[in-house]
Amino acid sequence: MTDWAVDLKGVQKTYRNGPIEVPALRGVSLRIAAGEFTAAAGPSGSGKTTLLNVIGGLDRADAGEIWVAGQNLQLLSSGELAALRLQRIGFVFQTYNLLPVLTALENAEFTLLLQGMGAHERKQKVEKLFLEIGLAGLKDRRPAQLSGGQQQRVAVARAMVTEPALVLADEPTANLDSASAIALLDVMEHLNRTTGTTFIFSTHDPQVMERAHRLIRLRDGQIVNDETRSRQGTAVA
Amino acid sequence: MALGIVKISWRNLWRNPRGTLLTALALGLGLALLLISLGLLDGGHEQTIANGVRLGPGHVVVQAKGYQNTSSDDLLLPAGVVSAIEQFLESRSIKQMVQGVSPRILATGLLTSSADSAGVRIMGVVPESEEAVSLIPHRIVAGSYLSADRPSGVVIGADLASKLALKTGSKVVLMTQSLGPRAPAEKDAGKDEMQSTLLRVSGIFRTGLPVIDTSTIQLPLPAAQTLLGVTGNQVTQVALLLRKEGDSSKVAGALLKQLSGTPVEVLTWRQSLPMLAQILGLDHAFNYVMNTVILAMVGLGILNTILMRVLERRYEFGVCKALGVRPRQLALMVVGESLALTALSLVLGLAAGLSVQHYFATAGLDLRWVFTAGLPPALVFDPILYSRLSLNRIAWSVSIVFMMATSISFYPAFKAARTDLPDSLKVL
Repeated sequence: MTDWAVDLKGVQKTYRNGPIEVPALRGVSLRIAAGEFTAAAGPSGSGKTTLLNVIGGLDRADAGEIWVAGQNLQLLSSGELAALRLQRIGFVFQTYNLLPVLTALENAEFTLLLQGMGAHERKQKVEKLFLEIGLAGLKDRRPAQLSGGQQQRVAVARAMVTEPALVLADEPTANLDSASAIALLDVMEHLNRTTGTTFIFSTHDPQVMERAHRLIRLRDGQIVNDETRSRQGTAVA
Repeated sequence: MALGIVKISWRNLWRNPRGTLLTALALGLGLALLLISLGLLDGGHEQTIANGVRLGPGHVVVQAKGYQNTSSDDLLLPAGVVSAIEQFLESRSIKQMVQGVSPRILATGLLTSSADSAGVRIMGVVPESEEAVSLIPHRIVAGSYLSADRPSGVVIGADLASKLALKTGSKVVLMTQSLGPRAPAEKDAGKDEMQSTLLRVSGIFRTGLPVIDTSTIQLPLPAAQTLLGVTGNQVTQVALLLRKEGDSSKVAGALLKQLSGTPVEVLTWRQSLPMLAQILGLDHAFNYVMNTVILAMVGLGILNTILMRVLERRYEFGVCKALGVRPRQLALMVVGESLALTALSLVLGLAAGLSVQHYFATAGLDLRWVFTAGLPPALVFDPILYSRLSLNRIAWSVSIVFMMATSISFYPAFKAARTDLPDSLKVL
């Protein structure tokens, strides 16, 4: 049991394709405090996405310990992992991944629906959040009627509406233009500041790296650099 | 939660409206074909049974025990049975089910004209009773049917008339073996003695069944009884025509109970006409096989469609799983989609199937074009098929299609539930 939002100890993960073994994480140890706004950067194949996947309980590590929200994920069943993801972790994906048949509001309330919350309460929570992140006039639009930036903001709302302890965002700005990426980062940083939710990104995007308060650089499945910055993006350690 | 899943399922259905409509039409067509074929099958069978029993022993027949197996002319219903039957049929509940009752005496004989002679099946009947039960009085093609004012009249089949060069008004001699003493005054004219009588052809009928048209003759019951030396108003059988074929077993059972203790057999048409029952049973079985093949083909098409829908949404299911959707909830979503699709298909199928069925039930399906060489004036199998579909049949068909479509969705649902994380989240 730890007080860290995320605590990784010697995490190893190797992908196997027949006789070929590709090590993705080689003994990664990492602690992220609650409320951090952290980016994991590195070239393709460096292990960024795998790192997020094992932290989010989407994939299991071969060895090591992964503590998230006070629980050792290696000891949880698939069902328990699903419950943890639903209750404590929010996800933002590179390609937005909204359900195309639902409106923006319905997409955002989807996780609340899974939690079993009543319709009225769901609507209230989502509308309040939409107002906060500039989506108030778009709630009835379907994903196809929204720009990439707007869709990603809806995805952020979906991740945040359950008030998770941790939000994992895999390359959230990869498909956005520069202005939309900045707007999205503004929204996420605002939510991080106002709610205290821990954010962890994987990214190649220099803008994201600049805005992160902590930047972890990965190469070949290992952390090669870990720097903490001021809120303005200046390295402090 | 369940409502949310239903909403998502319904909306997912309309992501590809054309595909959904085509699939719904395919499944609906399967149901429509099932309803139409069952309607025509049941209608055809109903007509065939109606014709079969009206050219034979009726829906229910009472005859002396053993007659069904031996067809022995000697086996006559005991005296008093006919009146007991008539008395029983007077009860209100039975009377409502019975359309006609005809006592008959049956025997074999030789019919001789000035031109030729032929073996015949003799039916002694009460004309007005026979008219309510049999088709023969309604298939007269020359002359007229028997009547009380012509006690020595006889009606004969058209093929027999042709063979014996007979026409209406012709004289014929009917010869047969006596079944018993003719009368106390004629003690010497006992059983098995040859008897003959002169008759005049009052009508010629054509049923379309060669076995009847070449050998059956009908004459008034008193004349037949006198010729056969039968006393005490004895008959071979009493044929009952019912308003509904479905009441056959009920009426037969009630009659059997009523006549218990007397040496009689009470048979439904399935027992008295076993060949017809077997042919219809075989036809049913063949129809079931054909319908199974049709439904299997439609089912495979639907399985393919739903499976493709699931496979192309693997990434989406991965996202749902990542967000915390449980495998059973994903499966429920897919089954829900399938159920929504099935409901739509059933509506389309019922609308199409019942519309066509209604048309065939009222206008009929005209199959006269099948008889290229010209339609015989009378047929056992009516050339115009009228569809008949009971509520039970409709409910059965809908249930079968519903169960098929639902069970088909289980495999795609299983595939959706088994969506792998994190592989399904890989962006291609």
